[in-house]
Amino acid sequence: MKNDTLVSFEGVVKRFGEFVAVQRMDFEIAKGEFLAIMGSSGCGKTTTLRMLAGLEAPTEGVIRLSGKPINHLPTWSRDTPMVWQSLALFPFLNVRENVEFALKMRGVGKAERRRRAEQWLDRMQISEFAERDIAQLSGGQRQRVALARSLVVEPEILLLDEPLSALDAALKVRMQSVLKNLQRETGITFVYVTHSQSEAFSMADRVVIMSRGKIEQIGTPQEIYRAPRTRFVADFLGSSNIFTGKVTGADTSGVALDTPAGVLHLAAVDGSAKPRMGREATLTVLDTKTNLALEAPSGRVNAVRVRMIGEEFVGATATIYLETAQGQEIRVQKGHDELASLPLEIGKELVAWWPHEDGHLVTEG
Amino acid sequence: MSDKDTASINRNPAVDIALKTYVFLAYAFVFAPIAASFVFSFNSDRFPSIPLGHFSLEWYKAVATDPLVWEGLRNTLMVGVIVGVVATALGFGAAYTDFRYRFFGKQVYLALALLPPTIPVVILGLGMLAYLSRINLSGNALSVIIAHVVICAPFAMAIIRLRLSQMDPDLEAAAWNLGASEWAAMRHVIVPFAMPAILGALFITMAVSFDEFAIAWFVSGLNETLPVKVLGFLQGQVSPRINAIGTFVFVTSMTLVILAQVLLTGRGAKTRPASDE
Amino acid sequence: MRRSLSLYGLTFSLPLLLWQLLFFVFPLVFLVALSFWTVKNFRMQPDFDTVNWTTMYGRSIFWQAYATTVAMAAAAAALSSALAFPCSYAIAFKLSDTARRWAVFLMVIPFFTSYLVRVYSWQIFLSDAGIINVILGWFGLGPFPLLNTVGATMVGYLTLTFPLVVLLQLFSLVFVDRTLIEAAHNLRCGRLRTVFAVIIPSARVGLVIAALFAFILCFGDFVSPIYLGGGEPTTLSILITDTTKSGQQWPRAAVIALTMIATLLVVAFAAVRFAYKGRTK
Repeated sequence: MKNDTLVSFEGVVKRFGEFVAVQRMDFEIAKGEFLAIMGSSGCGKTTTLRMLAGLEAPTEGVIRLSGKPINHLPTWSRDTPMVWQSLALFPFLNVRENVEFALKMRGVGKAERRRRAEQWLDRMQISEFAERDIAQLSGGQRQRVALARSLVVEPEILLLDEPLSALDAALKVRMQSVLKNLQRETGITFVYVTHSQSEAFSMADRVVIMSRGKIEQIGTPQEIYRAPRTRFVADFLGSSNIFTGKVTGADTSGVALDTPAGVLHLAAVDGSAKPRMGREATLTVLDTKTNLALEAPSGRVNAVRVRMIGEEFVGATATIYLETAQGQEIRVQKGHDELASLPLEIGKELVAWWPHEDGHLVTEG
Repeated sequence: MSDKDTASINRNPAVDIALKTYVFLAYAFVFAPIAASFVFSFNSDRFPSIPLGHFSLEWYKAVATDPLVWEGLRNTLMVGVIVGVVATALGFGAAYTDFRYRFFGKQVYLALALLPPTIPVVILGLGMLAYLSRINLSGNALSVIIAHVVICAPFAMAIIRLRLSQMDPDLEAAAWNLGASEWAAMRHVIVPFAMPAILGALFITMAVSFDEFAIAWFVSGLNETLPVKVLGFLQGQVSPRINAIGTFVFVTSMTLVILAQVLLTGRGAKTRPASDE
Repeated sequence: MRRSLSLYGLTFSLPLLLWQLLFFVFPLVFLVALSFWTVKNFRMQPDFDTVNWTTMYGRSIFWQAYATTVAMAAAAAALSSALAFPCSYAIAFKLSDTARRWAVFLMVIPFFTSYLVRVYSWQIFLSDAGIINVILGWFGLGPFPLLNTVGATMVGYLTLTFPLVVLLQLFSLVFVDRTLIEAAHNLRCGRLRTVFAVIIPSARVGLVIAALFAFILCFGDFVSPIYLGGGEPTTLSILITDTTKSGQQWPRAAVIALTMIATLLVVAFAAVRFAYKGRTK
């Protein structure tokens, strides 16, 4: 175990009766990092967080906090405060009483309680609402109360369970920067559960992607974005074109895949993900790295004949939807200027192409 | 609301008026005996009918000067308060159990908690009197309290359970997560949240106990409660005194119910986000 | 977390369980034992003798009372449901939100007035020199004997059940999806046909449960049959009180009570089955 490890999951399994919510999970969370756990609903991300908080006990395995196993420590004996999706603010207490709650439970004296709550009310810029009822606050203000209530004990780690899901889009973006700054300034480890890719990728130092109780990939946002490790991750991120086929050539110069869209090549891959001849393999290429042309350029490129079926404009970028002869959808995302030279109209026959080295081989089917 | 827009074209005013008249008549039927009891409690005639005699407080005086009535009243109040407290405590426990736990046999537990009011009082009274006399508990105020709690606890449970179902289920876990033990979370979160319902249940069960007479009739021996006294009047000479007692009981019960209502809606509403308009 | 039983959990769940076992279940179970006891020289003694069952079931008065009680309770449940429906329908669909809240509040009030006092009050209306006969007298009619009739008992039963039936019906009617009604109108289903083809089927569970409660209440009631019906015809509840009073025949009363419970269980089971028929999801 490294010195800067705060939390480690070692072979953690969680079953609810027959249902396996989390299967054999091994990973570590470093001190001071912002970790996002991402996945669709039912993937086990919230269960993972709740086990860390002590609201669920692992069926198997060990969870350590600062090296000590905490499996059977009840939640009220750990310092793992959580910010809830529903926020779970106490409706019968006012803002100040909510923030003081954790201190009161720890037997902190009245004056000290007030002083420390005041600090956090200040820091979260909600001092002026201190005596208000929760029902009188706006969504953003409640968010700040929930953060202050959890942070007032100055924990080493803060758990957040989709805390922004109830906010409107503009407020969401603003709260993201509030959260990121807060994490940077305090140095507190944040574990942030979300189903939103944009939230995870914009705030987190590292992202864990989960599916059906398993970790699919852990890495920095850039790593995951550029090189999804599994077909699931590539699909889930939705930012790549994906081709699956049989491996027909694999040597030091590269890999060839026989896909329905034709034989596609990849540049040489490093040792870890060497595909075997005759096996299924999957190639992904980012939609931003996929180019369009009337004729395939020469050189070490893959080219696929496609027909245009639609287009969509968001700001300065355009997304062009195309279809191969076999009916597979291909997306191309480019700036308007890059596409200006092409005769873009529905039904137009074009070529989608990318250099061999922009393709990426996914190791699992 | 869209309902109001369709009202103008899809409604027949004659049908509406007929239905509203019917509603009025239905309420007249329901309130006729209550109103009559009230009116005739102030009427001088020995045999109540119309035309009314003159206004008189004689029945109230007759009741007020009867030492047995005062004793009955004292018993009724004492029993009512104890029943209210015990039934509310038991009902709270059951409501919290249903809210928090899942366990084998929960259906049976809930049936036990909610069934008693559906068993006819004659049968329940018969069973209890026979059973309580067997274990030497019959014939005193304690037996009345026991029987009333059996009937009242389900009402308390229902009222408090309804309130708990309005609670964000994460609230209790949030308290634990912030360092509150189970007992501390109970004291600082569950009880404060359920308080309006707890007080409401207290008053409602007191009111139910107050006029739940039939069981008392079967169960109590010497210590008569007020409804038992009422029954005595009915069985013996019919006297307008029953109207005086009935009116008094009604006013007392309604005071308790309105108190409960104010607590359940007034303070309960405050704790939820301002959703009205 | 901590799903296992703990001292904390038991503190809240156990008291009610013990109380209802001790003072609700045991008395009912005790009735079963009691029905096999014997009475000698006006004293009950523990025994295991079926004499009470054979005696009671061999008496025609018991079966007469049984048939009377079932018939009267069923009639009261039907009457109460039929009379309450237009009222709850109007409250649910024709009144404004504020008026509906008031209507509900007013319907709750009778629960907190003594049923006995209300029944006594009906005597003021129904007796030979009572309010109704005096009014009829102004038109040269009557006096009619209204008290101590089956009709008077029915008035008492309605006093007992009407508010509850209205509230239960209302509760199911307000949850009927309004768009279903609009859809029916839109498909040219007439006003009255909509009530029978859409609203009643949608609210069936609540309507049946309301009728069931009315039946249960009337089936066990002894106040109306005695004080408004004059004790004639004899119902099972009157039979129970009479039996306990005459010669300490508690075991025989237990037989009647157990027969009543069995009947109620069968009726309740059948009613619930009927209410949820074809609603399995």
